[in-house]
Parts: sequence; structure tokens; C-alpha cells
Amino acid sequence: MTPKNRFWWFFAVSISIIFIFFTILSIFFWRQLSPQEKVYLITLLKSNFAFIFIAVFLMLTGFVFALDGIFHSYIIPVVRLSEEVSVMQSVNPSHRIKIDGSKDVMRLVKVINEGADTIEALRKSVSEKIRTARSQAEEEKNLLASFMAELPQGVLICNTDGRIIFYNKRSRIFLEESPEGADPADAPGRFIGLGRSIFGVMDKNLIVHALDVLTAKIRKKEPVPVAHFVMMGGGARLLRAEAIPILNQEAALPMLKSGAPFAGYILILYDITREIENERRVQFLLQSLLMRFRGSVAGIRSAIEAIIEYPEIDADQLDHFRRIIHSEALNLGDTLEKTTETYNSEIESHWPLVYMPVADLLDTVGQKAKEKLGIKMTVNNTAKTSHQVRVDSYSAIMALLFLLNRLKEQTGAAEFQCTYDRSDLFLHIDLSWKGTGIRIETLRQWESQPLMIESEGTALTLKEVLSHHDAQVWCYACREPKELPRLRLFLPITAEGEVGPEEAGGISISIESRPEYYDFDLFNQPGQNPELDDTPLTELTYTVFDTETTGLDPKIDEIISIGAVRIVNGRLLYKENFDQLVDPKRPLPYESIQFHGIREEMLAGQPPIEKALPLFHAFASDTILLGHNAAFDMRMLQMKEASTGIRFINPVLDTLLLSAVLHPSQEAHKIEAIAERLGIRVVGRHTALGDAITTGEIFLKLLPLLKQAGLHTLRDARVASQKTYYARMKY
Amino acid sequence: MTKKILVVDDEPNIVVPLVFLMRQNGYEVRAVGTGEDALDCLSEFGPDLILLDIMLPGMDGFEVCQALREIPKGKRARIVFLSAMGRDVDIAKGMALDVDAYITKPFSNADVVEKVKDLLEASS
Repeated sequence: MTPKNRFWWFFAVSISIIFIFFTILSIFFWRQLSPQEKVYLITLLKSNFAFIFIAVFLMLTGFVFALDGIFHSYIIPVVRLSEEVSVMQSVNPSHRIKIDGSKDVMRLVKVINEGADTIEALRKSVSEKIRTARSQAEEEKNLLASFMAELPQGVLICNTDGRIIFYNKRSRIFLEESPEGADPADAPGRFIGLGRSIFGVMDKNLIVHALDVLTAKIRKKEPVPVAHFVMMGGGARLLRAEAIPILNQEAALPMLKSGAPFAGYILILYDITREIENERRVQFLLQSLLMRFRGSVAGIRSAIEAIIEYPEIDADQLDHFRRIIHSEALNLGDTLEKTTETYNSEIESHWPLVYMPVADLLDTVGQKAKEKLGIKMTVNNTAKTSHQVRVDSYSAIMALLFLLNRLKEQTGAAEFQCTYDRSDLFLHIDLSWKGTGIRIETLRQWESQPLMIESEGTALTLKEVLSHHDAQVWCYACREPKELPRLRLFLPITAEGEVGPEEAGGISISIESRPEYYDFDLFNQPGQNPELDDTPLTELTYTVFDTETTGLDPKIDEIISIGAVRIVNGRLLYKENFDQLVDPKRPLPYESIQFHGIREEMLAGQPPIEKALPLFHAFASDTILLGHNAAFDMRMLQMKEASTGIRFINPVLDTLLLSAVLHPSQEAHKIEAIAERLGIRVVGRHTALGDAITTGEIFLKLLPLLKQAGLHTLRDARVASQKTYYARMKY
Repeated sequence: MTKKILVVDDEPNIVVPLVFLMRQNGYEVRAVGTGEDALDCLSEFGPDLILLDIMLPGMDGFEVCQALREIPKGKRARIVFLSAMGRDVDIAKGMALDVDAYITKPFSNADVVEKVKDLLEASS
């Protein structure tokens, strides 16, 4: 019941009680009077009706004012007081009560606020202690986590139901990523996330087979039960997978249950696309080498055996045989040469290159030059910025050292200036020295030499190393007497991160949100079922989402952005998000640009809703949809049902309604107002993903309050929302 | 009556010594470079034994062998694969095609002659 209603109830009840008392009193009074007195009283009343009426009216008005005063200074503040105290106690300890009321109420508020201060201070000192105690454990955990994240293998941990309970970055790349340049919408539905099913990204039969193998191996008591299989990953990757069971305590005992004898399993994924490809190429190389050899040797052997066996052979024939032997011998040499070449280029093409700042590269070269070659190299960065280069650091450093060493030998210089600068496509690394320049022929000679300095180095030539890096080297003689001779190394520049769209615009955003309600029935979604309805709110998986649109009318306006994050087991998984701009295929109204800051050029080349919606549908599958003022967003999605064939049947919860359920006496249920009340910092308001994240954070803060209010399951939350929904509709 | 041998190989450096070797051993020899030519000259020449390479331009040796076995004169002839494909799987595949011998290159002249003699004597 809203406070206003409450007031009128209170008023009506008080007035009727007073009226009833007055009437009863009047009746008794009337009965006691003698007939003359009655007549006298009636005449008195009649003659003084105006006075009496005014007196009664004034009395009543005074009464109403008094009532209103009491209500506003005692009753409403007390009701709010309890709501605010519960906020303070549960989700936002630093919240302080700020309400107006009577002196007594204010005194109470002061006492409560003081108490809250004390409790908060106490809580802080306790949590400080806990934090210090935890930090060490956390550090170790982080170490492990970052180790896992950087592993070249993909690691996934699943429970026996196939729910993913851990995954690392690599596994996500292996399984999710589409091939470069391909349209992601062509292969929707490959999502990895905590709580998601592994069967979304892997063939169920493969997993089931692997688990059968594991079960059999455990039963046979094999010391290290592992199952292997090969599968296709995202982007036509070929993956080799190892499944390792996580044994639980009971599994060590003889099995009583028929189920799997382990609690879950670890999947380790290796990308073998390259390997297989390599193997295939090497295999092919070997096969053709063998066949050519067999052919040539056969010719030689057959010819020479004939010559030996038949000494009386005529001259022409003999000559013919000799030529055969000679030409096949040449063939053999040729085959050898070609195979070696092919093999070497195969090997080279698998050198991995890594990104590294050019300054670091040159520092290392400078140090080594000093230690090993007695060369002093000073580095000047004329570009004044740092550049990343993509190199195989060892061979790149060796190449530079090799050049320095040769330059020293050739010119006798022991001091070099190293500068670097960028042009459009290349980073120039210049080595200059005092003395004579070097000739291009000399440089060409150096290029064909292996990168050896004393006994250290590689057998690869400078040319091979350079070509692997797509690099070039060139020498410049001095054109003017003042200029120093120099050697220039050209290294391709790697594309640096483009400026993100969030930095691009300078548009001020006015905050006038969309209307609160929309004609979408949130409470009868087909995906609702009794089992879900009885699940506690804390155990459900949610997709918190928000859309940005060209305007506020779903009938004519279009979605231009969808953002979403997942809540699993009461945790907001920021990294498992969905953030997609959508080309609305219509111009953007200026007012809407001011609102969401998305401009038309940002939408060019983005997928249309027909492609984006299937992706979002896959992202949100099997979860509860959660939005702030979700009816509007749901209506927008529903409008696209016909053209995309995508129907969202997920149950829906709305933080606006939930907040209204919990705090009926608060008037504002906008995201900002709620966030402030619950102590949440709003970031990225009016971007779809930003709003989705804020909504998710709000929901997590509301969860304990819902529990306090006795709303435990999805059904409780839905029914309560529905009541408030209609309640708010009426006013 | 002299026995006739057909050599099917596209590599002259192998064909020349082979033809010489067979002639020295008293056989009538003819050499062709492709499987198609081998099938063409089959009825006219009527070889008792065919030395067949597998890597041929056009039809490969396996196909030639299969085609030979489908015509009467081909069915009568002995077939010996002479191949640079020396993997066990290639040998198994060749033998499965109802050939009489599979000799991998490089071979010794004596072995080839011996094998040819054995096969021709057994058939007569």
C-alpha cells in the first residue's frame, strides 16, 4: 500500500470513529432531555445553525490538519525509517537516513545514524583484518589464475552434468572463435561461459564416449585414467582433447551407484591444426623424395648392372647407358637440393613471432653489444613514442649484433648511434658511425652469411632472418660531409589499437529516460515452468540485458545496440558479456543521438537485427532475462519476432518492479536513483552494456533484500512484481 | 617360340636398360609410355608378361591392371608391378589386384630376370 492510500485509510477510519462516538453521545443526550428542553434545543439549533455549522467545520478541518501533521511527521517517517534501516543493514552500510519528521523522529534518526556509524566503523576494521588475511591466499590464487590464462592449452573443467565450472582464455579462443573474416552470425550458438553446458561447444557423443572410457579405466584401476579424442573447434581448428577425471572421495570406495565414479572432469585442449598440417606436408615431402630416389636409383642400378653383366655390349648401347647413369645422378642431386630447400622454408614458416616494444629490443642489443663485442651503442628515440614490433626476439637481436660486429670489423668504429623513427609502413632503425661508409656489395655478402658471432648464433643467414620478419636492410653513404654513414633496418610496423568509439564522441548526454511501462506482458512468458519457478533466486542463471533504440516507440523505432552480461551463482560475470551494435537501416533521430551517443557512422557495417538477434538469443538461452523496465526492451525484441523468427520465451524479471516491491514508499525507481540508494557507482550510463552491468549490480544488491522480504523463489519474485506492476499501473 | 614382354613405363632411363636386359635374355620386347598405349597394343602384340609401372601419366598402373584383367588376352598375361611406391600399403594394394609379382625400384637386374623366367616357365 502506498503512503497516500494509507493516509486516506487512516483518515476515513478516524473520521468514522469520531462520527460514531458523536452520534451515540448525541442519542443518549437527546433521550435525557425533557420535551420542553428538546423544543428549546431545536429552536436554539435552528436560530444558531450558521455558528454551529462553522464551529463543526472548523473543528473538522483542524482535525484533518492535525491528522496530516501526525501522519507526515510520525507515520510516514517511521515507515520509511524501517525501509532505510533495512537497506543500511543489508546492502549499503554507508547509507544514512535523511528524512524529515517530528523532533522525536529526528532524534530517533540521529540515534540510528550514530549507531550505524559505530557499526560501520566496526565492520570496516573487521573486514580490513579479513582482507589482509585473505590477500596472501588471493595472491597465490591470482598466480595460478594467470598461469592458467596464459597456458597455450585450453583448459575446461566440467561437472558430470556437463556444466562448465572453469575455463581459461585459450579454451574460449579454441572453441568459440570463428575463422577470420567470417561472419560470426553464420555460426551462432558457440558460447562458453560459467554454468553453460559444454555440449553447446562440443559434440555430446564425443564427451559421452570419453566419459565411458574414463569410467572403464577407473574401474580397471588404471593409475592415470585419461581419455583422448580429436574434435573440430571454432574456425575449422582441429583440436586434440584430453579428458582427466576429478576423483572424489567416494569414488575411491567400491561404487554403489551406477553413475560416473567421479565428480567432474578436466578437458585439456591442444590446437593441432598446425601440427597436423605440418606433418602432412613433411609426409608428402618425404613420400615424393622417396619416389624420385627410387626411380633414379633404379635407372642407375639397372644400367650399371647391364654394363657389368654384358661386357661385350656395343658402343652405342654403352654410351646410352652412361648417359642414363649421368643424368639420373644429376636428378638425384637436384631432388636433394629441392627437398632441402622446401624443408627449410617449411621450418622457417613456423617460427613464432611475438610483439615487443622496439625500445626493449634495442636496450637488449645495446647491453649485449657492450658485453660481447665491446661496442658502445647509444639509442635515441626521435619518434618520442613507443612502437611495437613483431619479432622473433632471439634472431632479431642476433641480426642486429651481427650487423654491429661486421660494421666494427669493416670500419673499425666502436661507437654507434642508434635512432629509430617510423614512416607509413615501416619502423626505421638507423645505425650510424664515424668513419667510412660500406658498399652495397659488402652488405649483400653479409646477408648471405649465417648469423654467427664467435661460436654463438644460428645457422640461418641474415637474409633468411630478415625475410622472415618481412624486413630489409640498406646502407646509405654520406651525401654531405657532415652526415654520418648509416645502415638502415626496415621493420614492418604492427597496427596499433584504434581509438575506441567511446572516446570518439563529445556529445553531452541529457538524462531523460524512457517511460516506465510498456504494453508487454512480462508475467506470462512461455518459458516459465514450475521447476524453474521453484528454484531459489540465488541459484538461477540470468542474462541481464539492455537495448538502445532509435526512439521510444517500438512500432516504428529500431534497436541499435544490445548489451548483456551474465549472472551465475550470484556473481556478475563481467567478462561474459554481449555487446553488439546493430544497423537499424534507418536514419538516427538527432534527439536519440544526444541520448545514447551512438552516431550513424558507428553503425555502418554493423550487422542488421536479423543477424544480431540470433546471436543474442543463443547468448541468453536457458537463462532468466533481467532488465530494468524490461517490458520496453521485451517489446522491442517481440517486434522483431516476425522478421527474424526469433522468439524469446525466457522468464523475465524487472529490477524496476523488484525495487518497487521492496521500497514502495520511495518514489524514484530510475536506475540512477536505485543505484544511489544501494551504493552502486553508475558507469557507462546509456550504453547498452553499461546499463546492463548497472542493472545486474542492482539486482545482486536486491537479492538479500528480497530474501528478507520473504521472496525466495522465482515464483515469489514474479508474483510480487506482478502485483506491484498492476498497483503502479492504476495510479 | 619366343616369349613376348611388354614394358609399360614413362621413364626412358628405366625403359632402356630393361628392354636391353630382356632382349639379352632372348625375349621379344616392346616398350610403351602410357597405360592407354599398353591396352591398345595388347591384342596385336599379345604379350606373355607385362612389366608395369604404377606412376604413369593418365591411367595409373592399378587402373591399367584392372582393365587388363577384364579382357581375355590381358587375363592370360603375367603382370609384374615395377614401382617406386615402396610402402607396404602400396604393395598390398598391388597384390590385391591379382598381379603375379611386385618389385620395388630400385631392383637388381638379376632379380627381375629371375622373376620373369620363373613366371614364364610356370605358365608354359
